[in-house]
Amino acid sequence: MPLKWVFNWQPNAGSTVNSQILNEVSQCVESINGVKEGRWKATLTYYKPMLRDQALAAEFPRDFLGISLPEQPNKYYFILRGHKIVLEADSSIQLIMEKLQSYKSRVALNFEGFQYQLGDFQLRVGKVVPTHSENLRGIVMEQVEYLPISSLEKSRQLMEEFVDIWQDAVSKRSLPGHFLHIEPNFSDYGLADHYTSQHTAVQYAHVMAQLIASVQAGQAARN
Amino acid sequence: MECVVQGIIETQYVEALEILLQGLCGVHRQRLGVHEICLKSGPNLGFVASEVRLLCDIEQAEPTWTVKHVGGAMRGAGAEQISVLVRSMVESKASKNVLRLFYALGYKVDHELLRVGFTFHFQRGAPITVTVSSVNKMLKLHATDEAVPVTPGIQLVEVTAPATSENYNEVVAAVSSFCEYLAPLLHLSKPGASTGVVPTAAAAAASLMSDGGGTTL
Repeated sequence: MPLKWVFNWQPNAGSTVNSQILNEVSQCVESINGVKEGRWKATLTYYKPMLRDQALAAEFPRDFLGISLPEQPNKYYFILRGHKIVLEADSSIQLIMEKLQSYKSRVALNFEGFQYQLGDFQLRVGKVVPTHSENLRGIVMEQVEYLPISSLEKSRQLMEEFVDIWQDAVSKRSLPGHFLHIEPNFSDYGLADHYTSQHTAVQYAHVMAQLIASVQAGQAARN
Repeated sequence: MECVVQGIIETQYVEALEILLQGLCGVHRQRLGVHEICLKSGPNLGFVASEVRLLCDIEQAEPTWTVKHVGGAMRGAGAEQISVLVRSMVESKASKNVLRLFYALGYKVDHELLRVGFTFHFQRGAPITVTVSSVNKMLKLHATDEAVPVTPGIQLVEVTAPATSENYNEVVAAVSSFCEYLAPLLHLSKPGASTGVVPTAAAAAASLMSDGGGTTL
């Protein structure tokens, strides 16, 4: 399982994310000889409980989300960040949730864009947009390492060296923000050092939390 | 979707049933050990109550989990006439923390069972699974070591086959015709419509045990 770090674009205070930044980032990958390989797409859904009495909403998790990842097309992942649970299931679990009629989709987001090959690494840059809409809500980047190392600890130095090169290239463009990678504490979720797709799912859940926090901070600043 | 019929057999005739199944299917039996946890939505969750089953296969060195949802039976005049139940069924494998997830979502344990026995998987007009098991209940939560039979001396036989809305007629026919071969030992019918044990079981079992299943019934 190739090891992966997921980043989200953190706009500077007072600025917002826009498609011009996404274009510049894509150009930036090409400027350091990234070879475009094709498109990628992941889908994330926030679920909300179906309640007869909305006053009881506090009894149920608000951060229940599901993710489908392009590298695992037959799997689906549920994450409850508050409870520190990540579950891997077959994609048919979505049909079971539909039949149970206890939770329904509150909002669904697509992560989509191009992937590039850069030496031993793959970079995926993508926009975050609600399904059936083109409103840009964020920018994410996946940095994937191809080398046969599945240990988070053993690969850390290699990953960091590449991040330095990449951040250096991005900073030359004086964009109003930067890519941020905050590694979740995987052991809280019962995940080991050996990288799996469940680690990716947890990273996406944390990236979404950062993204929501930065949008809220931006709104608060404007108000 | 799946097609399903059920029946019961006295434990003393299970060995004969196994010989018969072995002869009919041409495959070896597989051991069955499943801890089944039936969950129901808490009182405030969902506009209608919902139910989901978590099946833990304890025969594996590392137990594996499956989430199973059994939906309503197909209805209508056509469904009434056939002797096999056709119902919606969806399964998904899941990682081992699936019970924790459903607890966190607001589901609670309604009851749990331990099924111990054997299964035969084979192809006969459709991929058919025959499960012969003793159904046990737990006196304490999750205490599978202290399970006691729900109906001592009686085992449950279930014949199932996956189906789709396009092919269920053929699957029903395949299941029905297979059930006829088991008729001397047990009667299979739609779940919930059990007709009890059959009077010919003792004679059929004696015949099977004496010739090792070589005789065509």
